[in-house]
Amino acid sequence: MLPMLMLMPVLQLVLFGYVVGSDVKNLQLAVLDYDHTVQSERVVEAFTSSGYFTLAARPTNEAGVKNLLDGGTAVIAIEIPKGLSDSIRARRPAQIGIVVDGSDSRTSQVAAGYAQGIIASLSSQFYALPSAKPGKTAPVGVDAQIRVLYNPTMRAVNTMVPALLAFVLLMSTTNVMSQAIVKERERGTLEQLFVTPIGRSDYLLGKLVPYIGIAVIQVIVTFAVGVLWFRVPFRGSFWVLGIGLMLFLFACLGIGMIISLMSSTRQQAQQTSLFLQMPQMMLSGFMFPIAAFPPWLYFFTFLIPLRYMLVIVRSNFLKGSGFVALWPQFLALAVFSLALFFFGLSRFQKRLAD
Amino acid sequence: MRRILAIARKEFIHIMRDKRMLGVILIMPLLQLFLYAYALSFDIKHLPTAALDLDHTEQSRQYISALQQSNYFTVNRVLNNYGQVDGIFESNQDQVVVVVGSGFGRDTTAGRAGAVQVLVDGSDANSAQLGQTYSGALSRVYGAKIAIAQYEAKGASVSNVGALTGNTRVWYNPEGKSASYFVPGLIVVLVTMVTVLQTANTLVKEKEMGTYEQLIVSPIKRIELMVGKIAPWALIGAVEILVISLIGIIIFGIPFRGSALLLAVASLLYVTCTLALGLIISARATSVEAANQLGSLVSFLPTFMLSGYIFPLSSLPWVLQFLSYLYPARYFMVVTRTVFLKGGGLSVLWPQLAALAGFAVLMTTFAAFLYRERA
Amino acid sequence: MTVVSQDTELAIDARGLSKEFRSVLAVDDISLEIPRGRVFGLIGPDGAGKSTLIRMLCTVLEPTSGDAFVFGNSVVSNPHEVKPRIGYMSQAFSLYGDLTVAENLNFFAELRGVPKSEMAARSARLLEFSGLTEFAERQAQFLSGGMKQKLALAATLISEPDLLFLDEPTTGVDPVSRREFWRIISDLHRNGITVFVATPYMDEADRCDEIAFMTQGRIILRDTPAGMRRRVPGRVIEVAVDRYREAMTLVRTLPFIRSVEVSGELLRMLIDQDACEEDCEAALRSTLEGAGFSVGNIHPAATDLEMAFATLIPAAGELLDTSDDEILAVAE
Repeated sequence: MLPMLMLMPVLQLVLFGYVVGSDVKNLQLAVLDYDHTVQSERVVEAFTSSGYFTLAARPTNEAGVKNLLDGGTAVIAIEIPKGLSDSIRARRPAQIGIVVDGSDSRTSQVAAGYAQGIIASLSSQFYALPSAKPGKTAPVGVDAQIRVLYNPTMRAVNTMVPALLAFVLLMSTTNVMSQAIVKERERGTLEQLFVTPIGRSDYLLGKLVPYIGIAVIQVIVTFAVGVLWFRVPFRGSFWVLGIGLMLFLFACLGIGMIISLMSSTRQQAQQTSLFLQMPQMMLSGFMFPIAAFPPWLYFFTFLIPLRYMLVIVRSNFLKGSGFVALWPQFLALAVFSLALFFFGLSRFQKRLAD
Repeated sequence: MRRILAIARKEFIHIMRDKRMLGVILIMPLLQLFLYAYALSFDIKHLPTAALDLDHTEQSRQYISALQQSNYFTVNRVLNNYGQVDGIFESNQDQVVVVVGSGFGRDTTAGRAGAVQVLVDGSDANSAQLGQTYSGALSRVYGAKIAIAQYEAKGASVSNVGALTGNTRVWYNPEGKSASYFVPGLIVVLVTMVTVLQTANTLVKEKEMGTYEQLIVSPIKRIELMVGKIAPWALIGAVEILVISLIGIIIFGIPFRGSALLLAVASLLYVTCTLALGLIISARATSVEAANQLGSLVSFLPTFMLSGYIFPLSSLPWVLQFLSYLYPARYFMVVTRTVFLKGGGLSVLWPQLAALAGFAVLMTTFAAFLYRERA
Repeated sequence: MTVVSQDTELAIDARGLSKEFRSVLAVDDISLEIPRGRVFGLIGPDGAGKSTLIRMLCTVLEPTSGDAFVFGNSVVSNPHEVKPRIGYMSQAFSLYGDLTVAENLNFFAELRGVPKSEMAARSARLLEFSGLTEFAERQAQFLSGGMKQKLALAATLISEPDLLFLDEPTTGVDPVSRREFWRIISDLHRNGITVFVATPYMDEADRCDEIAFMTQGRIILRDTPAGMRRRVPGRVIEVAVDRYREAMTLVRTLPFIRSVEVSGELLRMLIDQDACEEDCEAALRSTLEGAGFSVGNIHPAATDLEMAFATLIPAAGELLDTSDDEILAVAE
C-alpha cells in the first residue's frame, strides 16, 4: 500500500509536468502549394522553422488535404494560392488559406493563432514599405509590446506544478481516507469500537493522523521534485503556502469523511471519490479559464475549495503574493474548509452514535 | 462456454443487487456530461482587464473601447498610474493590464505607430498564452485599420498597401460549438472511469470473500473466468457510451456524421480493454483498497492526459508519446472524434479498430496469465 | 500397512508433502494413503496444519515439496484432472452472500459441468436433504450459521464428486444441524464417496472409518477409532465424589493416575494399572476419603477419543524426531 501512495504523486508529477506542462508544438502541418515559387517556399520555411509545426505532408489537391485531416495525420493545413509571388511583387494583397481540425479542441485554436502570427510577420517582411531609411521598415498602426509577467517564458510547467501540490492533497486524502473508513464499516469493525473504552473523537483522531502524515510527505516530495527537477521558481513564503495547504487539507478531510458516509462499500467510495475529483479539476480554473464559463457555472465555481487553493498556490509561487494580497482567497478557503471538515465530523460522530 | 455464461450471469446478479453502485455508475457520468458540455470551452472570453490610459486622447479611448467590444477582454477598472499595476496582479484582481502610452493619439494621427503595452499575468498559463495571442491579433487588426486610415490620409491608394493575411477555416466544427469539442472525448474519459474500477475490484473481492478457493477447485480455465467477468460490464459500458452519445446528439446538438455501427463495435472493444485493465490490477492486488487506489490512478488522469483529449500528443516528450501508444484510450479518442465530427468510416479508422481489437485480446489474455490459480 | 498398487484404488496418495510459509513449516513431510470409499478424519489442535494439508490436496495451495496423487493424478503437475472429481468445503463460509440459495447452487452446478438435464433434480434433492427448500429464494448472507454450512455442503455435492474435502464443516453449527450434516455424510459414504474431514469434535471422529492425529505439521498416529482407543495405556474409571473440582487437584498428584477430567459431575480418570500395588480403586478411595472427601460409586468406563487424544498426542509429540514407524509403535 505504501509504495502505491508514493506512486501516486510521482505519476501526477510526470503527467502534470510533462503533459499538461508541455507547450503546444510540433503540430502536424500539411502544405498545399499552388504557387511553387521562391516566395511560397519561404512561407513554408517560415512555418517549419518556427518550432510550432512539423511538415507532415504535401498534398497536391484539396481532397488530399481532406484525407490528411480526416485521418488525423495533420491537424492544420495551409493553402498557398497560385500567383502569390506575383501579388507580392505587385504589392497586391494576398491571402493564405488556413484549415484547422476543429474537432481537436484547443489545439486548433492555438494552431490557428500561431499560423496567423507567422503570416503577420511574413506580411511585414514581404510588404516592407519603402521609407526614408533604406532597409528599415516603418511601423504603422499600433505597435503593441506584449510582456508576460512572472512567467516570461510562459512555461506551462510553472503553473501546473504548483497546482499539483493542491491536487496531490486532494486525491490522496479523499481516496485513502474514504477507503479506510468504509473498510471498517464493511467489516463491521466499527461496531467493535463502541465496546472499547476509546472515545469517539479519539478514534477519529487516530484515524485522521496517519493520513495527514502521508499527505504531508507527498506534498513535500512533490514540492521538492517540482522545484529541483522541473525548476519551477519559488518566490513565495513557506509560511503562506503551508497555511494555505493546511486549510485545504481540512477541506479534503471533510470531503473524505462525507464520501465515506455516503458509501457502504469501498468500491462505491472509490467511484464516488473519482467522480468528485473530475469536476474539481475541470471547474476550478485549473485547466479551463473560469472567466469564460457561462454565468450560472461561474457562480458555481465559488463553491469549489480548489479554486481558491489554486490561486493561492500559483500566486505565492510565481508572484510572491502574501496574506495581504490573498486575503479574499484565504478567507473563502478557511470558511469552506472548516465548514466541510466540521460538517463531515459531526455527521460522522452521529453515524458512529447509531 | 457454459462456464463463461455461468460466471457472467453471476456477475450480473452481483451488479443488479448493488443498487447504490448502479446509481453511481449511471447517474454520475450523466451529471458530469451536463456540467462540462455546457461549461467547457477554450475560448478566452471576458478576460478581466485593467486599462491604464496615459494618453487621455480620443484615439486612446477608442483603442480601449475596441478592446472592450471585442468580447475577449472585460475592462473592469481604469488605473491612474503605473504603480498600481503590481498590486493588481498580486491580488489577482485582473489578468491583463493594457497600457496606452502617452503620445498614442499624437503618433497615430501623424502616421506613426502608436505605442501600447500589454501586460499579461503569466501565472495562469492557459489564459496567459491565449491572452497574448488575442491581444496581439487585436492590435494587428486595429492597427491595420489605423494604418489604412493613415495611408488614406497620405493620399495613397489602399489597394497599393499590400499585406499578407491568413484566412482561417475551421473544419468539422465551423459553428465552433464547444460541446462538439468536448463531448466525444468526454465519453471516453467517463466510461474509462466507470469500467476500470469495477473489474479492479472483482477478483480481489472474491479473495476476500473466500469464494476464490471455490473457483480454484472448479474445473474452470483462467481465460474463461476473465471473459465471464468482463462480459456483463462490457455490455453495460457499451450501452452507457451509446446513451451518452444519444444525449449529446439530442440535447447538445453535436453532429453525428459517421456510422453508429462502427461506434458500437469500437465501444465494445474499448470497454473490453478497460475492463481487462481492471482485471490485470485485480489479479495481483493484495487488497481491495490497493485495487481501488491503483484502479483510480490509471483510469482518470492518464486517460485524461495521455489520450490526446485536451493536450495534443505531438507536444509530449517522446517517452510519453511512446507510452500513449500503449494506452487504448488514444485510439478510441480518434474513433469518437472522427465518427462524431468528421464522418470518417472504416477506411479511415481501420488502424484504430485493429489496435483496439489487438489490445482487447492481449490485455484479457495477460489478465488470465497473471491470475494465480493457487491461493 | 498394506501397500496398494498405485492406480485409482487409492483416493489419495500423498508423498512427502510439505508446505513452508516464510520460515514456518506448516506441513512437514506427510505421506498418506487413503483408499476409496473411506471416511477419513483428521484431528488435531489449532495450528496443526490440517487446513494447509487439505488445501494442498485439493489443489488450492502449491506444496513447497512433495506431491500427492488424487485418483492417480498429481496435484502439482496435473491439477486440472483432479479438480473435476473433488469437492471442497472450507472452514469459512465461501459462497456468495448476495446470491440466493438457488442461485448459488445453480452457479456451482454450471461451473462444474453438471448435465443440464440433471440440474433441477439434483438441486431439489439436495435442498430437501438439507432442509433448505423453503429458503431457496433467500440470499445466502441471511441464512443462519447452520444453514450456511448445509448450503456450502450442498454446493460441493451438486457435482457428485468422488472425493469430498471438509475442513471443520460443523464449527459453530447447532447440535441438531450437526447431526443432520453427518446423516448426509453417511449417506454419501454408502454411495461410495470418499470423505476426508478435519474436525475438532471427538464424537464426529468416532463416526469415521479411520482417523489420524495431526500436530505441528506431522501425522502422529493413524488408526480406526476403536484401534485408537485400544492404544491408550491403562483403563478408565469414573468416580463420583463431592467437591469434584477440588478432588481433581488431589487426584492429579497420585502416581498411578495418568489423567483426570470432569465428565458431568463425575471424575473420569485413566489409571496406570502397573503403578498400583494391588487395587487402584481402593487406593484411590482411601486417599480421597482420608482427605475428607466423600466418595460414591467407582465404576469402569470406556476409553473415549478425547482421552486418547489427550494422552497419545503429547507422548508422541515428544518423539517427533523419530520416524513414523517408531512413533506408531510407542503406544503399545
